[in-house]
Amino acid sequence: MTGDGSSGPKPRVGLDPKEIKALARLVDDLNYYEILGAPLGAASVALRDAYHAASRKFHPDAHRHLDPEMRGAVERIAKRVTEAYSVLREPRRRKLYDERLAQGASAGARMQLVEGTVEAGRRAAEERGGKTLNGKRYFTLAQGDLAKGDLSAAARNLQMACTFEPGNELFKAKLAEVKAKLR
Amino acid sequence: MAEVAIGIDLGTSNSCVALARGGKVEVLPNAYGESITASVVAFAEDGSITVGNAAKANIIHDPKHTIYSSKRLIGRYFFSEEVKKAKAICSYEIVEGPNHSVRIKMRSEEFSLPEISAMILREMKSIAEARLGQTVTKAVITVPAYFNDNQRQATKDAGRIAGLEVLRILNEPTAAALSYGFGKGLNQRVAIYDLGGGTFDISVLEIGKDVFEVLSTCGDTFLGGDDLDDRLIDLLADEFVAKEGINLRNDPYALEKLKVAAESAKKGLSIEDEVEVRIPDVIVGPDGRGRSVERRITTEEYSALVMDLVMRTFKVCDEALQQANIVARDLAGVILVGGPTRLPLIRNAVKEYFQREPRTDVNPDEVVALGAAIHAASLLSPQQEAYLLDVTPLSLKIGVASGLAETVIDRNTPVPIEQTRGFTTFQDFQESVNIRVYQGESRQAAENELLGQFHFSGFKKARRGEVRIDVTFEINSDGIVNVTARDPATGQQASTQITLSSGLSEAEIQKIMQRDRTAQVVPSAVTAGMVAPGNKGAAGPLPQTPSIATPPAPPVRSAPLVPPPPLPSPPIAARTAPVLPPPAQVDPSEDLEVLPDDLPALPDLEPPGEPAQAEADASAELIVMDEAAPLPGGDGPADFEITGGFSQLQPGAEPAKKGLEIAGLDGSPDERVPVDTPSEDLFDRNSRDLSPPSEDISIDLEVDPEKKGK
Repeated sequence: MTGDGSSGPKPRVGLDPKEIKALARLVDDLNYYEILGAPLGAASVALRDAYHAASRKFHPDAHRHLDPEMRGAVERIAKRVTEAYSVLREPRRRKLYDERLAQGASAGARMQLVEGTVEAGRRAAEERGGKTLNGKRYFTLAQGDLAKGDLSAAARNLQMACTFEPGNELFKAKLAEVKAKLR
Repeated sequence: MAEVAIGIDLGTSNSCVALARGGKVEVLPNAYGESITASVVAFAEDGSITVGNAAKANIIHDPKHTIYSSKRLIGRYFFSEEVKKAKAICSYEIVEGPNHSVRIKMRSEEFSLPEISAMILREMKSIAEARLGQTVTKAVITVPAYFNDNQRQATKDAGRIAGLEVLRILNEPTAAALSYGFGKGLNQRVAIYDLGGGTFDISVLEIGKDVFEVLSTCGDTFLGGDDLDDRLIDLLADEFVAKEGINLRNDPYALEKLKVAAESAKKGLSIEDEVEVRIPDVIVGPDGRGRSVERRITTEEYSALVMDLVMRTFKVCDEALQQANIVARDLAGVILVGGPTRLPLIRNAVKEYFQREPRTDVNPDEVVALGAAIHAASLLSPQQEAYLLDVTPLSLKIGVASGLAETVIDRNTPVPIEQTRGFTTFQDFQESVNIRVYQGESRQAAENELLGQFHFSGFKKARRGEVRIDVTFEINSDGIVNVTARDPATGQQASTQITLSSGLSEAEIQKIMQRDRTAQVVPSAVTAGMVAPGNKGAAGPLPQTPSIATPPAPPVRSAPLVPPPPLPSPPIAARTAPVLPPPAQVDPSEDLEVLPDDLPALPDLEPPGEPAQAEADASAELIVMDEAAPLPGGDGPADFEITGGFSQLQPGAEPAKKGLEIAGLDGSPDERVPVDTPSEDLFDRNSRDLSPPSEDISIDLEVDPEKKGK
């Protein structure tokens, strides 16, 4: 066996164990820009360079000779670095995040990286129409019925949707359309 | 002697081992002096095992006991499409093992796929040890970038069984990029076009001096050089039926000869414009007369046969460029990886697609192993010279109601990464939850790969909505997934490294390592007469080897055609160890994260005074909470609105109904489980899914729209 593991952890360039531990504790209170070490309005190329620089510092591979506790601390920082970059590199997420920061969200506030499929489905439903839960649901069901060719079931569900959302023009129009077909 | 770590490219058709040290990186050739070794394992009648080119030569003599292309099966479920396809075309016997796993039956023994891969890895390890004259225990092993977690875990297990400490499971295209750009101080974007024996990967990387950042990776684990060969086999077999009225596919020996011929023809066409396939006496006709295959193939004809497959790779490239948010002209270089990319028809197509000449200064057979070796050395060295920033190739998902899967970590997200989602219980006094984790891009849970499922209990019992459960998904630098569930109130924690249901449990790995069949691999050095002079390879005459003649000179390699010498007995003592029966059904107590199929449904808790709600049989339902949302009050009407909607809709429906639906979903009909389906039907309908009917309904996370989307 080599002496690499036993000869004692050697601190990396500019990083001593104390600093790593402190950072691992602190990382929850830093915003994504602070984690990457980039200014708030940084251009995407600057963000990328900051991500690369932070990765050189905190990449788990570069610290694999440290003891398990220290490795855990580095891994924790590294995961936050990738999270920060994953949010900020995408313009839409970045905009949302910037807005949150501007509204005074705590620095450690985190964003989810993904809008789940279920969430996305709901958003699509919202975009399509419907403000109340039940309105949306019955409208969705009606669409299912239509796809199956079950017009009377669709009419019933659209009627329900209209009951919950009397002012919804889309529901009304769809109901009229289905009723016309039924006759 | 200084410790070394090798890089192993464990390929579908061929494997390669390399070492980087002293500022130099080189391939370690096998005993025949060849840089690549066939990923083929042959089982002789006397119990000895041969790996490599000698084993490959055995295919036409003993197709039933020669295993090739096993990488196509590793980490897959028995019922998967790929396994079905392999069963149809492979001459060796593929059987089902415990937990829907795949086993290969060889004479009286059954082998798991990691065990077979371990035999190949053991051979690569021996090759390195013979060249270096020292023991090697550490390695970086590469896998296709598009491998899912199950396949990565199984490959890692294979390394362990082979006696290797696997420092890293590295993506093949990333390894190739490292080999291309290491130490050059480049600042450019490159694409790696990797068409192997069984898989296709494309990765787009941004190289920033010593940082290798993968921008995107896409792939097709069902597309490779083997598929090109299959096209030619079909052509030859069909023509043979037309001419002789005999279907060669029905004869395992004839089929293997066709395979060998098709592969040689492909190699020939990489050099020549035209080859002649000649298989004398491929089969004996009913009249006792031998029939032959003789067929001239031109590049044009071959192109027509396979062009649609080549075009399929470009659809994948489109996707990768789009995911990286760039266009082809943003790239500074295109690097070709994999034997089939030697075909001029592929080079030309790649050139046309990327509008640039692919790099020709990279050896497509060796570049991955070289990159793996560079990374292995770098992981061993205290001084870091390159930083790999890789991505997860597939989206990580969690199963929710109605057979859908919700994405938690998107594909092409950099790793390591961690995401936490808050959930709450769905039923009053619910005792446990069952969490199913998937990888894939489909909204339908069953169309994704099930990585595993686990059970979380021990949180406080309370009314629905009053319990908070945090589920944390982590993908580490190996691309391996960990999932933890935690009750922040009690600190109760259940953690699992997701273990595939078709994979090996720790106990099974231990058993396999004990019986150590991989130790019975006859090192090729012995076969080649390099190490043990007593075991000289007795090259007998070859009966009817198919030959391919390219007009000027056939590219024949003599060594691989030598049949494995009949060794009196394997030279390794492990032979005396009793052969254990195939691993028995996994004991559930040892293997917490895998729920055996016969496990009863989670107990229904009937909340006092509310029998109507218990009928919904949602014993393990969770509600997704917003990351920042406070815990909801116990009787929030919103929760009831969603979950009860279904019974509101059809008040007269039978109580046995299982599928709950998600409010506000995009409602095309196939997205919902029909509400009036009894559970048995539900199971049939989802037969691709692993889970017994009870589980299909027991997981069911519910999204609460009132609390999300703020």
